[in-house]
Amino acid sequence: MPEYPRELIADLLRGRLSSDEIGGLQRHEKDASRFQTVLAVEQQRLGWTDRILLCLQEHLYVVQRPEGSRTVRCECGHEFGDYRRNWKESALVHERDASDGLVYRGPRRADPSWTVLREFYCPGCATQLDVEVVPRGYPFIFNFQPDFEGHEGRGEAE
Amino acid sequence: MSPGSLKDRLHERDRRVAELGVYEERLDLKEGDPIAFELLYSRILQSVTSAHEVARLVSASPMSRELGEIIFGLYTPEGDAVALSRGLLIHIHTMSRMIKWMIENDYQDDPGFNEGDYYFNNDPYIGGAHCPDQMIVTPIYWEGELVAWAGGLTHTPETGGSEPGGFIPFARSRFDEGLFLPCVKIAENDRIKRDLEILVERGIRSPIFWLTDNRAKITGTQMIRQEIKGLIEPFGADNFGKACREYIEDTRRAAKRRVRTVLFPGRYREVGWRGSVMPRQETLLHGPVELTVSTEGRLVLDYQGMSPAGRHPFQGTLPTIEGLVMNVLIQHLFYDLKHNEGVLMVVDLKVPEGSAGNPPSIFYPTALWGITYGAGLASGQALSRAYYAQGYREEVHATSALSCAYTAGGVDQYGRPFGAHNFEFAAAGLFASAVADGLDTAGVEFNPEGEMGDAEIWEQVLPPVYLGREIHIDGGGFGKYRGGNGVLSLYQVWGTDEIDVGGFGAAPIFSAPGLMGGYPAGAVYMWVGSRTNIRQLIEERRPIPAGEGEDPETPDFVRQVAATWELVHGHNRVGTPARPGDLFTAMTGDGGGFGDPIERDPELVRRDLENKVTTPWTARNVYCIAVDPDTLEVDRQETERLRAARREERMRMGIPAQQYKARERERVLCGDFPPPVARMYHAVLGASEVFQSAFREFWDLPEEWRMPDPDQLAQEMA
Repeated sequence: MPEYPRELIADLLRGRLSSDEIGGLQRHEKDASRFQTVLAVEQQRLGWTDRILLCLQEHLYVVQRPEGSRTVRCECGHEFGDYRRNWKESALVHERDASDGLVYRGPRRADPSWTVLREFYCPGCATQLDVEVVPRGYPFIFNFQPDFEGHEGRGEAE
Repeated sequence: MSPGSLKDRLHERDRRVAELGVYEERLDLKEGDPIAFELLYSRILQSVTSAHEVARLVSASPMSRELGEIIFGLYTPEGDAVALSRGLLIHIHTMSRMIKWMIENDYQDDPGFNEGDYYFNNDPYIGGAHCPDQMIVTPIYWEGELVAWAGGLTHTPETGGSEPGGFIPFARSRFDEGLFLPCVKIAENDRIKRDLEILVERGIRSPIFWLTDNRAKITGTQMIRQEIKGLIEPFGADNFGKACREYIEDTRRAAKRRVRTVLFPGRYREVGWRGSVMPRQETLLHGPVELTVSTEGRLVLDYQGMSPAGRHPFQGTLPTIEGLVMNVLIQHLFYDLKHNEGVLMVVDLKVPEGSAGNPPSIFYPTALWGITYGAGLASGQALSRAYYAQGYREEVHATSALSCAYTAGGVDQYGRPFGAHNFEFAAAGLFASAVADGLDTAGVEFNPEGEMGDAEIWEQVLPPVYLGREIHIDGGGFGKYRGGNGVLSLYQVWGTDEIDVGGFGAAPIFSAPGLMGGYPAGAVYMWVGSRTNIRQLIEERRPIPAGEGEDPETPDFVRQVAATWELVHGHNRVGTPARPGDLFTAMTGDGGGFGDPIERDPELVRRDLENKVTTPWTARNVYCIAVDPDTLEVDRQETERLRAARREERMRMGIPAQQYKARERERVLCGDFPPPVARMYHAVLGASEVFQSAFREFWDLPEEWRMPDPDQLAQEMA
């Protein structure tokens, strides 16, 4: 299995790789240490004392707090609460009727009587964290519930 | 059946796999001589690939010749895929299902299997995805024993349905979709039966496509048969059979390792949507998926909550969703493994019976796949999240395009009856990834290597001529990385007084969701201009339009051509008579975006402006970038100000989730939804206890709450 320099992975995360370099990563066998490398790069970049356990999605991390709880935290520092609860329950929500003409023009607007856009913002930094395409009245989609125990056990098994 | 029949062998194979969880217990050949093992596989792969390359040139159908909507494979005697050529990857399992169906239904006894027999199938409830997917398989014998099957599949552009072009967007039952031949013997002793050809000649429009596709598949499968016999001769039939089983087992083990290595275990959820627009009936279709990545290296894909099947073609059979999921997994997870039955063995699919992914009877139409495609693509997004969590950002992507095109039928420019669809959607916009923009005019999920076909080829096959074929400006979903832009083509009806032109593929909904803050691609649409002055413009040598241009509110063709313009919001348009000089558009679909658009690198926007694939309006209003429209110089300071203002605006517009929920709960309690949405909730909540329970819990609904049936309410009102 290949191993890649930490700087290369840091550049991947920051979007600084060329298409050839990205293609190289895609073509070759995966580096087994990637998970730990990514965590190390992000831990250093963010400078948090709490340990990052997982990159949940863009801007959101699961961190281990000193008292033992595992919480979802935005890059800006805003905390969304326990990772077992959907972070969207603590976000700001804007339901966009696409016919507002602010994002989509002309016939590219979906008919709001079918689907709307539900935009989720971080209350700390106003980053747009997710855009759901849903009809009105649809429950928030809980996109990801990580299995930490399984992941740790899997590492030992390997 | 006699002992040792194919049926017995198939049942023994099923028992072995179920009890042991493996396909072959030992990899003796691989471990004994790994180089010979891989060399033999490369020869098998070469045989199916050669068949693919040669056979496509035998066909007269542009689908096979130009676009590569064709695939060949080698199968074990029990029907498990051993190796597949490139091409239409969703059919890894559909020919397998066909072979197994024939074995289960005692075809070995009657009509019997013999060297030189060719069986044809296009029944999607047996194998395939819809009536246009047509497969032919032939048994390969060695010293009197059936040792393998060779199979080939093409997508024909005409099926003899109630509308031309095979896709039949207004089909209400299977009987609207055309000519189905479920596992029919079409050739014996390597000769095609003439009566079968007459059936096709008189049963569909443009029979040349179907008939020459059959010749192509027979050519390809004959090539495979010959090659495989050449391989068996020095190797021995027993060893060859053992090697085929080891290839499958070897792949199963590799697939399991892959899941354990590159995906973070957990539960992932996404939702795909499609819609059906039929006369007096609009239906929103729900395609949720819950992906469980297990620590043991298995993937469970559960589609609980999928909309029930209905009287529309926006649904698929079990083989369709199976094929779509495998197609996603092969491209995004198992891309460098051997493409065979082994990859299926680490996957559990749960598709509710009676749903639009597993209809309750064979009479439900399936021409357009619909929600099975939406749910299949959503599965790819779920997989992306699992890659992201494990750190492999280069594999993370938003959703592929919803693809669409136009259909036509009538009398062609040569005076012959015809029916076909254009298929340039093989060059739809690709999804954005977590590290790069989606490619423009790149491909479709179900046939990643397909070509869009030269415009001149389409002009030979279909009467309309191209006025322009352009990159669909700003088509891809906006994001830190934008989705790829597809193609928008402008056509002129020409050379015939008798032609129906229709669209297919979509309700007016967002077409390809974004990921992690990225926007979806916009809705798809068609413009149709009748009673135009295009001839006058040409005669007077005045400018004529080549496409939509930069302003979708007022497209170039609407500004430049006087006509009665009709906008079809969505892409469902019944085949309607058109006249020479009429103009219409069709689009291929665009990819979803990734990440927050106001984090997009201004340099990427500048580059897009330079390439004219985005507009100054989008740069300022969506990406919040200040750029000089003449010099394309980015004003960094003003850009920062615009982006700060957008963040402030979000803080003002966004309301706390709990407050939002309290407000929306009132809407839910009253059942206050537009008809397509109310119809969807009523159907899904009635069909799925799991979804109903989750829905009740989320909105904290009282036990006695029921979603009213909008159609019943309407009847009572009347």
